[in-house]
Amino acid sequence: MRILRAAVAAIRPRGHGFDHPIDDAVLAGIEGFLPHLPPPMRLSFPLGLHLLEWAPALVVRRWTRLTRMSESDARAYLERALIAGGPLGALVLGVRTLVLLTFYQHPDVLRTLEVDWAGRRDALVARRAELVKP
Amino acid sequence: MSVTATPPEHHVAYPNVLVGTELGTDRTLAADAVVVGTGAGGASAAARLRAAGLDVLMVEEGGLHRTETFTTDPTTMIQRLYRDAGTSMIFGTPPILFAEGRCVGGSTVINGGMSWRTPARVLEHWERTLQLEATGPGAMEPYFEEAERILHVEPNQEDTWGRNTHLFLDGARALGWPVAQAPRNMRRCVGLNNCALGCPTGAKQAMHVTQVPRALADGAALVTHLRVDRLLWQGTRVVGVRGRIVDDLGRARARVRIHAPLVVLAAGARHTPGILKRSGLRARAIGRGLHTHPNAKCVGIFDERIDPWKGTHQAFHIHRFLDDGILIGYAAVPPGLLAAALPGFGAENAEHMALYNHMLTAATLVEDETEGRVRLGPDRQPFMQQTLGQADVARLHRGVALTAELLFAAGARRVLLPFSDLPALENPGQIGRVTERRPDRGTTELMTVHIMGTARMAADATRGATDASGAVYGTQGLVVADASVLPSSIGVNPQETIIAMTLRNVDRWLATRGLGRRGPQQAATREG
Repeated sequence: MRILRAAVAAIRPRGHGFDHPIDDAVLAGIEGFLPHLPPPMRLSFPLGLHLLEWAPALVVRRWTRLTRMSESDARAYLERALIAGGPLGALVLGVRTLVLLTFYQHPDVLRTLEVDWAGRRDALVARRAELVKP
Repeated sequence: MSVTATPPEHHVAYPNVLVGTELGTDRTLAADAVVVGTGAGGASAAARLRAAGLDVLMVEEGGLHRTETFTTDPTTMIQRLYRDAGTSMIFGTPPILFAEGRCVGGSTVINGGMSWRTPARVLEHWERTLQLEATGPGAMEPYFEEAERILHVEPNQEDTWGRNTHLFLDGARALGWPVAQAPRNMRRCVGLNNCALGCPTGAKQAMHVTQVPRALADGAALVTHLRVDRLLWQGTRVVGVRGRIVDDLGRARARVRIHAPLVVLAAGARHTPGILKRSGLRARAIGRGLHTHPNAKCVGIFDERIDPWKGTHQAFHIHRFLDDGILIGYAAVPPGLLAAALPGFGAENAEHMALYNHMLTAATLVEDETEGRVRLGPDRQPFMQQTLGQADVARLHRGVALTAELLFAAGARRVLLPFSDLPALENPGQIGRVTERRPDRGTTELMTVHIMGTARMAADATRGATDASGAVYGTQGLVVADASVLPSSIGVNPQETIIAMTLRNVDRWLATRGLGRRGPQQAATREG
């Protein structure tokens, strides 16, 4: 969990109005996805996180761990791992996708973005009901 | 107190449904035909077979989710409607993200509702070059017409167009490119643009509000949450299927065997060959011939506010370059999903996303020549592999360059690209950089929802897994009715092609059995 938390802190958007204190919610959102992953991915995910923790030595030649890196160093490391590809790159791609998905769909962030898809849903369901009324 | 009106799709009846997760013990069932999968092919096959008088049992690995339960929250709906919560991937360089439905209605519940006919040049290729009888434009015409009646295909009305649609049209007009108004399977779309998460308004006429309830009302039955693992054999004759009930998290529960003299596999171009391979079929063509119709996004950033989430999904496409294998469209993507497709971490990603309401997301889809494969992994589940060849990469570059050209012509001040080594263009003068860049496949971000060809129809068993009617070579009683049978990449969204080809093939199976189609007035209704 602390490895995932470090990855969330490195990946999550910052600045530009996106400094919402929602890391715990993002983490919970990611955890909600994990049981839905196919079994091989679900089983290998914790192993992959440990690989991510120890791989700075391989990827950026730094003898440290992800959880001990500063946010900016961790971000640079993860970006490098993503570009390098392979299993580690695929893992970073997956974690990045989940972090960004859960972050930007958080109600507070949607309000910042001025996106109200849910409100539009209710209005348009009613509108269509009127339009197709027999 | 006022009562809010609800659309008719919120009141669809689903008789004869057995919810698999409510089964406490192992079961053995029987039917004249078992149809595995309830997407475009499976639901159409089931309705057609039932109309011909067969006792039909549909099975679906996912659950039955009613229209009124659909929300606009991607995390909820992706977990509910998508296989593996949308985390599937086609392995190769680059890896291609892949999404498909796992729910009653299959991928029709989560697609954009595009209902294009197979291009005539593709049909002519199938009939003339591949020698697949009666697959040419003339022979397929009545099946396309019927598919369009089933799907209730119509264009979007102008009052549903958002600003993104108008900008897309402006760009095409400025370049002199003709636009094609997209035929879509919908009944009075109101432009919510939630197609990929299930249409809460009921406008999209997906299989769970059309063919599935029609087949059920006509007396067919449906078992949900049933994952078919293998076929049952008597010699070379298939006599049924066996599988496990799985809950929403994929955990296996009761065992189920279904005996049926006709098995229709419609589990999609990944899982249909997976079932065939797990069942001991060794034909070389099974799993080969994978085409993915990959999709690369370009995002135009405009000075004006667009509010891309207001207005319909893909009312138009550019088909001008379709003969070169390039299709250009646009879509509104929820913030969380779009952010994942944009470059950067942390502040860099935030900088892009702060402009979300100024973004027009366009995409190029390319007709891929490279053939990938579906194989079984150590867990006996199918996985996909494809690494695009040089010709496909070149086509992709051209498609991205054309899409960027359209966005600049529409007034974009910046275009974000799907290349990690060339993330953005600042003006139209830089478009040449796209085609000049090194064709490094690893730096391209791709996704797809259109896989096909992994049990393709062919004139003989050396060239394909299924015959000209979709029956699996070397077997009896086993047919395929999904995108697996398509003999080549079709270059457009495959929904209507799958339905038309399924209707054609079912008619051919029925004819070989001396069974014709009944009119609806003769349809029997069986007690559930």
